[in-house]
Amino acid sequence: MRSRIVAYLVTLWVVLTLNFLLPRLLPGDPLSALLDPESSDYVFDAEVRAALEAYYGLDRPLAEQYLAYLKGAVTGDLGRSIRLNQPVAGLLAVHLPWTLLLTGTALGLAALLGLLGGAEAAWKRGSAADRLLTAASVVAGNAPVYFVGMMLLILLGAELGWLPLAGGRTPFARYDGPLAAIADLGRHLVLPAVTLTLSLLGVQFLLVRNSVVGILGEDFMFVARAKGLRPARLKWSHAVRNALLPFVAHLAAHAGLAITGAVFIETLFQYPGMGRLIFEAVGARDYPVIQGVFLVVAVVVLTANLLADGLNARLDPRLAEEVGR
Amino acid sequence: MSVLSRQAVSVVRRLRRAPDLELETALGGAVLGLFLLVALAAPLLAPYGPHAFSGLSLGRPSAAHPLGTNDAGQDILSELIYGARISLAVGLGAALGTVALGLLVGAVAGYAGGPLDALLMRLVDVMLTLPRLPLLILLAAFLGSGLVQTVAIISLLFWPSTARAVRAQVMSARRRSYVKMARNFGGGAGYVLRRHILPAVAPLIAFGLVAAAGRAVAMEAGLAFLGLGDPTAKSWGLMMRFALNLPGLLLTDRWLWWLLPPGLCLTLLILALTYLGMGLERRLHPGLRR
Repeated sequence: MRSRIVAYLVTLWVVLTLNFLLPRLLPGDPLSALLDPESSDYVFDAEVRAALEAYYGLDRPLAEQYLAYLKGAVTGDLGRSIRLNQPVAGLLAVHLPWTLLLTGTALGLAALLGLLGGAEAAWKRGSAADRLLTAASVVAGNAPVYFVGMMLLILLGAELGWLPLAGGRTPFARYDGPLAAIADLGRHLVLPAVTLTLSLLGVQFLLVRNSVVGILGEDFMFVARAKGLRPARLKWSHAVRNALLPFVAHLAAHAGLAITGAVFIETLFQYPGMGRLIFEAVGARDYPVIQGVFLVVAVVVLTANLLADGLNARLDPRLAEEVGR
Repeated sequence: MSVLSRQAVSVVRRLRRAPDLELETALGGAVLGLFLLVALAAPLLAPYGPHAFSGLSLGRPSAAHPLGTNDAGQDILSELIYGARISLAVGLGAALGTVALGLLVGAVAGYAGGPLDALLMRLVDVMLTLPRLPLLILLAAFLGSGLVQTVAIISLLFWPSTARAVRAQVMSARRRSYVKMARNFGGGAGYVLRRHILPAVAPLIAFGLVAAAGRAVAMEAGLAFLGLGDPTAKSWGLMMRFALNLPGLLLTDRWLWWLLPPGLCLTLLILALTYLGMGLERRLHPGLRR
């Protein structure tokens, strides 16, 4: 586990440094353009300009800028938004919970359904149901998530009018109690979460199905069957138990996929999370916000990686032994 | 005949010899071929130019405009047909870029071994853990939008998985006795790479190209949809973005001919590439065919 943590810290440092270097090294010098009165990107608001200058400190030596940047990143100073003239850290704190709610719900649902469905399909491999589910998963996992979302939006939102078209909650709503508030949040969450779940489910179903199919051919399954174990026990305690390892090992990658999906879905459904924030920042060339979102999302995905590694070590006695030593 | 073309012939021969060309793989190839034809013959097929103002704003489908017109009065069918060129060009360009980078890094790491290999593989690990889309957005925001930038950014971010597969293949090929023999008899690194390692890696290249093309097509459309693509290159993603920008689009039936066709074309093309890639992958790892 120690080597994992070292790898995590190294990757974190790479992310921080990349975030620092990219805008400074790339051609066109986009940051200087913000402060150059001749440029079309010139920031007219003197107060915002002063904040930009202070944050990026482009007139100081690179090493000094780097140290100031690292110090800011550690203490939560991520600059000020050009578009909104607010601290980036505050914006991120407002938007992050929405994305965590959306991706967490979708990842949980997709993991549950993917495990159950994948195991069932592998158990009855070659059957009509297996083929249908497999084909559906390929489509769901590969079709552009915003297109799937649009179709759901048109069908369930616009045509049938069952669900709200956009947003994370009803604007200016005053709730009678916490239950009404949760119901409203839930109604707004359904379409984005279903869209994201479908896209993740496509990937997770195939992963579980293919690993279980592989395990069914192993010698220990033959022995277990020869011992006369009941089918349910064979399936869950022997086949699916072993398929959990690749499944958990891929969870971190799926967290990355979920973030990618969330950026598109939040843009489409105007859901107030990190994806929506980065989309709006891109439109306004609001560099501090784009960088802040990248940083936070990278940290979240890296942490998911570390957690998945730790979980896998708990699940796999062979790995746990290595860690214990 | 050069080694590469000889290699291509042998790959084609191996594919043809395959006992069961699955229906899905064949369909994927057919759909991809169809889109290629449409892209090549776009000026013949499209009734108007993709930027020509050929009708009234927001016209309904008619004989003159089978899919109606957009808000600027441009023919949607023509936009759709020319859009195939953008998607396929980006797919091809980024696939070549991704595989070239992956091949280079993977071959160097696998052949050199030692500290260089370890360093390159740590780089691959780091790149595979980074969240791709936010990094893509960050790069696109700073590099500017243009088709060349889009291709470059996608290639820069997607090579690691190819590099890892190529490295594994090179390492296993290097340990084969015939490769050791060739080196014992004085074969230089260049000769061994060309004559023995490349043929072992060739099927991986075919799969890598198709897989990378699929991801690149999806990413280009996604970037265009988010407003980070080339605003002058009217791709399917950009068409969908323009359509969604019209207030209340979803409340009329206009989405039927403005939003649905580019979305369906995009999905079809990505699925065709996916199924083609899955077929090639099964050929690489016969163990997957169970």
